[in-house]
Amino acid sequence: MENVNYYECKNVTKSYGNLTALDDVNFSIGKNEVVGLLGDNGAGKSTLIKMMSGVVTPDTGKIFVDGKETRISTRKESEEVAGIETIYQNSALCDDMTITRNIFMGREITTNLGFMDHKKMEETSVDVLESGVHISGIDSPLKEIGALSGGQKQAVAIARAVYFKRKILLLDEPTSALSVRETERVLQYVTELKKEDVSSVIVTHNLYHAFQVCDRFVVMSHGKVIFEKNKSDTNLEEVTEQVIKV
Amino acid sequence: MLLYVNSKHWGVFIMLKFVDNIRSKPAGGIILLFVSIQIVAIIGGLLYPDSFRYLNPANIAVLLKSMSALGIMAIGVGILMITGEFDLSVGTLYTFCAIVTATVVKEYAMSPYFAMLVGVFVGMLAGVMHASIVNRFTIPSFIVTLGAMLLWKGATLLYHGAKSLRYKYESATYKTVLTGDIGVVDASFLWFLGVGAIFYFVLHHHKIGNHFYAVGGNPEAAVAIGINPKRVKLIAFMIAGGCAALSGVVAMSRVGSVQPGGGLGLELEAIAACVIGGCALMGGRGSIIGIMLGTALIYTIQDLLLLLRAPGFYFDMFVGGLIVIAAVTNVVIRKRI
Repeated sequence: MENVNYYECKNVTKSYGNLTALDDVNFSIGKNEVVGLLGDNGAGKSTLIKMMSGVVTPDTGKIFVDGKETRISTRKESEEVAGIETIYQNSALCDDMTITRNIFMGREITTNLGFMDHKKMEETSVDVLESGVHISGIDSPLKEIGALSGGQKQAVAIARAVYFKRKILLLDEPTSALSVRETERVLQYVTELKKEDVSSVIVTHNLYHAFQVCDRFVVMSHGKVIFEKNKSDTNLEEVTEQVIKV
Repeated sequence: MLLYVNSKHWGVFIMLKFVDNIRSKPAGGIILLFVSIQIVAIIGGLLYPDSFRYLNPANIAVLLKSMSALGIMAIGVGILMITGEFDLSVGTLYTFCAIVTATVVKEYAMSPYFAMLVGVFVGMLAGVMHASIVNRFTIPSFIVTLGAMLLWKGATLLYHGAKSLRYKYESATYKTVLTGDIGVVDASFLWFLGVGAIFYFVLHHHKIGNHFYAVGGNPEAAVAIGINPKRVKLIAFMIAGGCAALSGVVAMSRVGSVQPGGGLGLELEAIAACVIGGCALMGGRGSIIGIMLGTALIYTIQDLLLLLRAPGFYFDMFVGGLIVIAAVTNVVIRKRI
């Protein structure tokens, strides 16, 4: 399983003026794998995430999707070519819009003239909400996102990604705004997604959360990958030490 | 918020559902306010038909006639506000485009319909210009269109001068289409309803409408999901410019003349109508029905004050109070239990 990397970037470098945010980084995501991307503030995790999601283009280096070299320079390309979706801390949802409109934001089901097929969109939303996610406490797809809790919002964002057949979820600090119970729910959900062939990368400061769900840990510092081990080959103490060492 | 209510409390349940329903509608507050004021005014009109002539056909006709120009403009302004931007130049653009339309008819002897299209086209072009500057240099639209407001004011004076311009229409059909009436309903009011209907479908049922809300509500989310906010804002600015121009032409055709300094100040009234109608100042929230009722409410209040023979300066005071009351109502109604 580990031999076949779904996504891989090799020798990637990205500088902003004098600041080297990514320094010769090699990073890979296997199939059905949850990777914990760890490191202190300013280590380059966010830049790496942004690069993978196509928001930032690397200066040098190569990207492989399914073993084939690929160029990803826009958000759309990362979505369509690599099947990557990013779930941000403030999930990419609009509070004042309904769940349905959020799920289909930018990908509305329309008639030929571009008018939205509300019925179809609502029916699909009900399916999305009931099938994969089992989001508790959401009774109608016409509810506004603003009325949901942090965990429910995350769940809707993840459900959206799954519905649109993403292969990789990038979760940037997914649990920072959540209650304990909600955190459990989201983490459990990430684990469940492996069965549906969706891999995840979790960026987090909370090593306990990371240990709960991740199969592999990658620690970054000053733009470099300084540590990489499978969960079975390491323990919490070792990873913590790697993260806090300067 | 979830309501798990056992079957003994259906009454409470239905009432909470109703409250929930009102709360969840962006226009909930304004509908409530509008209906209450109408009920009071209609009861007053029925009780005192001689001293309080609210239900007098002449009064209704004037009321419907007067609101259309601001209403058409406010629809464009509101859509732009939902997208998270302002256009302060719509007032002076309204005059500029009306004068362009009149000139096309007078100087070039073109058909008034064609001239109308030219006017609206110029308005949309101005919108493209505003949007390009806002998008290219990421300057707040407030600043850009504040400059544009003065620009179009100056352009009007440069192009035409300070004299008022008479606008005569030779074509009888044109006259009917723009100034005719069906009973108490003036043609300009039908234009207002028509524009409202068109943009109701655009905003609430077309995918571009969904994008307006997304860009105004959470620009990062919109980008993350693959919507191009610059393109969406460009379209919204064009709608605002086009609506301003159309309202200028409709108002000029109805009155039969245009004053070069006439439109200034309308931009703030349009924003007021939108805010009263439930549009969020920072974008992402609002509805066509809210904007239309917001406009109607401003004119209803004005009409009521006139009928009660209040001195003219009361009007601004009341509109000012109304803006704040409407804003507060919207917040209170939206506050979740």
